[in-house]
Parts: sequence; C-alpha cells; structure tokens
Amino acid sequence: MANLSVNICGVDLKNPVIAASGTFGFGREFNELYDIGQLGGISTKGLTMELRAGNPVPRIAESRGVILNAVGLQNPGVEHFIKCDLDWLKSTGTCVIANVAGKTLDDYFAICERLDGKVDMIELNISCPNVKSGGMAFGIKPQSVEEVTRVSKSALKKTPLIVKLSPNVESIAANAKAAENGGADCVSLINTLTGMAIDIERRKPIIANNTGGVSGAGVKPIAVRMVYEACQAVKIPVIGMGGITCAEDAIEFLMAGAVAVQVGTANFTDPFAMPKIIKGLNDWCDKHGIKNVRELTGTLQLNER
Amino acid sequence: MKDYIATIVKNEQIAENIYAVTFDLGEEARVRAGQFGNIAVGGTHLLRRPIAVCKTEKKEVTFCYQIKGEGTQKLKTMEAGTRLNVLMPLGNGFYVEENEKKVALVGGGVGTFPLISVLREYGDKKEISAYIGYRNKGAVCGVEEFERAAKFVAVTDDGSYGEKMNAVQAFEADLKAGNRPDVVLACGPTPMLRALKTLVEKENLNCYVSLEERMGCGIGACVVCVCEKTNGARARVCKDGPVFNVNDVLL
Repeated sequence: MANLSVNICGVDLKNPVIAASGTFGFGREFNELYDIGQLGGISTKGLTMELRAGNPVPRIAESRGVILNAVGLQNPGVEHFIKCDLDWLKSTGTCVIANVAGKTLDDYFAICERLDGKVDMIELNISCPNVKSGGMAFGIKPQSVEEVTRVSKSALKKTPLIVKLSPNVESIAANAKAAENGGADCVSLINTLTGMAIDIERRKPIIANNTGGVSGAGVKPIAVRMVYEACQAVKIPVIGMGGITCAEDAIEFLMAGAVAVQVGTANFTDPFAMPKIIKGLNDWCDKHGIKNVRELTGTLQLNER
Repeated sequence: MKDYIATIVKNEQIAENIYAVTFDLGEEARVRAGQFGNIAVGGTHLLRRPIAVCKTEKKEVTFCYQIKGEGTQKLKTMEAGTRLNVLMPLGNGFYVEENEKKVALVGGGVGTFPLISVLREYGDKKEISAYIGYRNKGAVCGVEEFERAAKFVAVTDDGSYGEKMNAVQAFEADLKAGNRPDVVLACGPTPMLRALKTLVEKENLNCYVSLEERMGCGIGACVVCVCEKTNGARARVCKDGPVFNVNDVLL
C-alpha cells in the first residue's frame, strides 16, 4: 500500500484525486453509488451569490473522444449551499472545495468573504466559457487574472485560494504567473476549451448556447502540456485536469508537475471512475516501488533536442 | 441504482429504424414503470445512452431504441454475448395511485416503449386503454404488448395502419365517446405532448408525461438535462423526472 496522501497549501487530502466542478454536483448523487468520503476532494458545482437558472437546453453534445457543455452556472446560490449541503458534504470526510464565480469583482469578493473559514479551499472560476458576463472575461488577460485574484484573496483570512485557469488564452504560463502574483495559493487547470458541434440536418449548433466547453479524453494532451507550462512558470502548487480517465492519465499530470488532479467528464462515462483511479494509483505505485505518491510530482524528464 | 455489467442476450430490429436489445443483468433488478437505464456503448463515446426500460423479466431487461446517431448505430451492431455497463434503474418513473382505476396511455414514436412498462406493471390491476401513434405501417411495433391492454387503438400519420390520425386525436375521440380515464400517462414527441396538454387542461384530466432531454451524468449531478417548471424553477429530467405532472412543466 502506497501512501497516497497529499498536502495542498496546508490542507491534507487522503489522495490526489478530486472531483472536478460541474460534473459532481454537491456529491449527493454519487454518494448513492459509493462513499464519496474516499475521494481526495470535491470541487462543488460553481456557486454564485444569487441563484442562477443557467442556459437553455440542449446543454450538452458529444464529439468523438470529447463532450461539449454549456450549463451556464446553474446553481442554487451560495446561501442555499451553506444551509443545505455544506455540513453534509463536510461530514463525508472528503476535502470540500467551493468553486465560486461572479459577474463583477464585488461578486467575487462577497462570495469569498461568505465562504471564508467554512470550506477547506476555494476555487475561483474565472474561466467559465458559457456565461455572457463575467467568468471568462476575468480569465483571459493576465492583468484581469491578477486583479480578480487579488480582490478575492483580500476577502480570505483563513481559506486557501485556488485559481482555475482557462486554456483559451494567449499564454497559460503568463496567466498562471498572474494568479501567483495576485496572491493565489494554488492554480488549477485546464478549464474547458471553447468549441462547437453542428447538427448538419438542421444546420444549427447542437448546444442552445451555440458554443460549449470541450472536455473529456480527447483534450488530455493539450491539458498535460499546459499543466507542464504552468508548473514551470509558478512556485505555488498546481492541480491538473483535462481528460483524465484512468490512473495512468493522472500519473501523466503528476509527472508534469501537478500535486493533485481533478476528474470530470470521466464520471459521466463511468460513475465509478474516481474510486478506480485511486485504486489504480495505489497499484501503479506498488508495482513501481513508489512508497509515496508525492514522489511522482514533477519527475518528467524532457527529451534532449 | 447499480452499474450492472450486462450481457446482451438478443439485439434485433423490431421496426423501421427501431431495435430492441435485451440484457442479462446477472440478477433481478427492481425497476418501476417509466424508469430508464444509462447504457455505455464505449469507444470514443464518452456519454452513455439514456434509454427507457421497456420490460423486465427476472434477470432480463429490454430496451427499445431508435437509430439516431453514432452511438445507437454502434449499439445496433453489438451481438449476443457482448458485455456493456448499464446504470439503472434511473429516474422516478410512472406511478398509478390506488384510487386511479382507469388509465389511458398516450404514446407516439419511441415514446411508446416506456408505456409498455406501465402495461406490464399495472396491466392486471388497472383498466388500461392505450392510444399509440406511429409514423407509418413500417414503424409499428410492440403491438403484441399493447394488445394485452383492455383497449388498444393504433393509428398512423399516413393511415397505412389503423386510422389516419395522431395518438392525441385517437385519445380525444374515445374520450368524446365516453371513455374517461382517472389518469393519463404519456410519452412522445414534444408537439404531441403539447397537444395532449391542451386537451387534458380542457377536459380537466390528471396527466403525467415522460420527458426526454440530452443528458450528461444521468443521475442528477451535472444539471445538464433540465426542463422549465411552471413555477419558474428548473427540474432535472434524469433525477426529478423523467415523469412530471403535465401542469408542473413548460413544454
């Protein structure tokens, strides 16, 4: 049995496998299938100060090896989360990461202030491609990444801040660095890539929002490259994600420099994907004589060119 | 709810573009009428196919599906012995109250199959009338099942089988003839459900409809497959539905 525990910004996780925001709700549905307390952590559905109805349907489409989604941050609002889900989620024993979004800098400040000290970590969603105002707007340019990070961080006295980065940018390294400069304790990446899928009979995009965020197995090489670049750019810990389906995928991200990973789309294909990845990580470590999963992080050796 | 490793027993065409696949689940599954399964077809398809349960018999479960895209194309080529993951039973399903003795089933297209599961669950206990609309003669299927109902009216859009009308018109004609049900259960294309909603509102009938929407997780976590409720809220078709009181949802 390898030691799978990791520590991110002072927070202990049982293992480096975290449910990615938006694919796992607040954990209740998956807990009907297995004990979610065994997961390293859960990043909640993106929360906003007020309830949001989200986008019209259809909100999802499929293309070979990937999916596209445009849910548009439908959520019951942060107060509902605090009242109805938070205590239960904490009682499961997993690390609770609140994913938060806003339309304005004031929104980001307010929601971070509201959740400070109540959750284990806060993950800033500055890169949702599916809402018209806010979100993505903050996530594109390094200056605004730094600004939204600084404002959010100023609201947090106790809870560490993760900034989730968009891949739809000029330089992932520059944006990771901007988050670090703004005071982020950690960055996570990649959020979804903006894409489109067309119903050729109707000559219309399948998704009502026209474009959607692309995720799933097919995006993994892009994500691994970006995680590697981000890890080279910053000193703070990096959480990697994008198309992770099995333990071997997760190990790629760890070797590229991530301290932990998030799993999203794979939960749709196989609702037991995460427990399987955790077991697979242990098995791989055992097979390779690795006593501590932390030993894998950043061990990538580039080919000589 | 369980992710069964299900073995295909039979997978055959039953009508134009419609197939029926029967799985052996390895154990008996308790499925309510109108619930569905989320079938993993594998390969490059990351999403499962949510398909209504048509019937269950001991360890076997049958789903009927229309060939629509690559996923169902792939499913149709799978032979007996193939093992697939099937997450089921999902959703709330149809529920007929004790005091509801007469049940009307109104179905169109692939929406007819979940109604077969109603007939199987309640056929002995209730007086069921089924009004089923097909596109044409080639699309007709499930007749041997519906013939077990107290009354079965099959109609087609072009009149090539039964009368030329739709399922709602067939139901309305019988209603006018005095056959008034205690509850109406329906599944079919949205225009059909809209027409039915207008009719049941006028006639003040209790009616439940099973909705369809593109799904992500199938268990209520991802809020992809929502419908709008009349009270302004959004409901998850996979978890809060797929069956809703027709008065509660916007069609």
